[in-house]
Amino acid sequence: MPDEETLARWVDDELDAASASAVDAWAAAQPEWLARREQARRLTPLLRAGLPAAEEPTYADFFNARIRREIAREAAQIAPADPVLVPAAGIWRWFLPATAVAGMALCFWIGMRVGPSPVSSAAAPVVTPINTVPVVYTPEKGVKAAYYSSSPADAMVIVLDGVAAIPDSFEIPETAAVDEPADSTAGILLPAP
Amino acid sequence: MNILQRFASKVLLGPAESGGAASGVPEGPADEADEGLVLRAQAGDMTAYDELVTRHRGRIYAMIRNMVKNETDAWDLSQEAFIKAWRALPRFEAKARFSTWLYRIAHNTVYDFTRRRRPENGDEINDEILNRDRIDPGAVATPAETRSPAEAMAGDELREKIEAALFKLSPEHRESVILKDVQGLAYKEIAEVMGCSLGTVMSRLYYARQKLQSLLKDEYDAR
Repeated sequence: MPDEETLARWVDDELDAASASAVDAWAAAQPEWLARREQARRLTPLLRAGLPAAEEPTYADFFNARIRREIAREAAQIAPADPVLVPAAGIWRWFLPATAVAGMALCFWIGMRVGPSPVSSAAAPVVTPINTVPVVYTPEKGVKAAYYSSSPADAMVIVLDGVAAIPDSFEIPETAAVDEPADSTAGILLPAP
Repeated sequence: MNILQRFASKVLLGPAESGGAASGVPEGPADEADEGLVLRAQAGDMTAYDELVTRHRGRIYAMIRNMVKNETDAWDLSQEAFIKAWRALPRFEAKARFSTWLYRIAHNTVYDFTRRRRPENGDEINDEILNRDRIDPGAVATPAETRSPAEAMAGDELREKIEAALFKLSPEHRESVILKDVQGLAYKEIAEVMGCSLGTVMSRLYYARQKLQSLLKDEYDAR
């Protein structure tokens, strides 16, 4: 009798011709094994016809980007923490709080005498990419996206580089529209039909 | 952009176009190159890992989707599997193929999910979020449909019947059929993925096929 791996591969027609014929000779008197092979020969093509072995996940680009973001987030979390301050001993134990109180008093005094400096209208606000870069998904190839945030301007800007010119006749498709909540009709008397 | 941010975007996030479309089916020569990519990824090269994800996501997603049926869950679980694989990558030794190792992680992820899911949730989780019908047809990243409408309809119908039949099997029987008859893994690989003996795989496969044969009798007769 062939070993179980050989038999398994024979059932699935995975043996080479020489090995298969050797098992064929043995299986000729084994109706159960012949039935198993027949079962596999009929079922496997049916399953392969109905179920794909590989199927791209929906939004495949975003699929990768989300994994990268999660890994980057985890990497940031395990970054070395700030060193722990060792408590001072002896006279320094009293010196540190006293210094802190004196510093606070000095800052308060300076703050009372120095007024706020006027904001120059000519100077452009410093715009820097934010530290926690969000994933900006662009489904169109060749289009690159950059995300900027400006605290002084209280603005966020997404720059899409490579987008084709949008014609005036373009209408925003329904899939891109955001459903706004309808205005409340409470208290409004509608005309009778 | 400062140096740290450049480092983060280049090393951790990789180039923007690296997640581009790919077949998702690892083939012979590409599978050989997995070893090199794995070594680079183990050294912290995120671009190499991104390439591995692109290469294997199609098969892992298909395997998980056939196990859990729900497309949204399959998407999330595939993500989870690849993130777990990244965490475990330093411990990966090239004793098995990288793809087999990934299947093993996907297997564990699916079984963890099945265990922690509350019975009252059932399979009827809202699947509208990733409904392919709602993707803008103008999007370049839309999954390609190469079949004719008639073929697609017949194929979808067959798929539904097979999926319904598969979900009448136990998870172990279902997985053995999916890994063998759909994914085309070798018996030894299935035993490795499922953490059981070769004999157990053979037995599960035999009973699973037997039950499927009776459940899909109409399909057999029609062919």
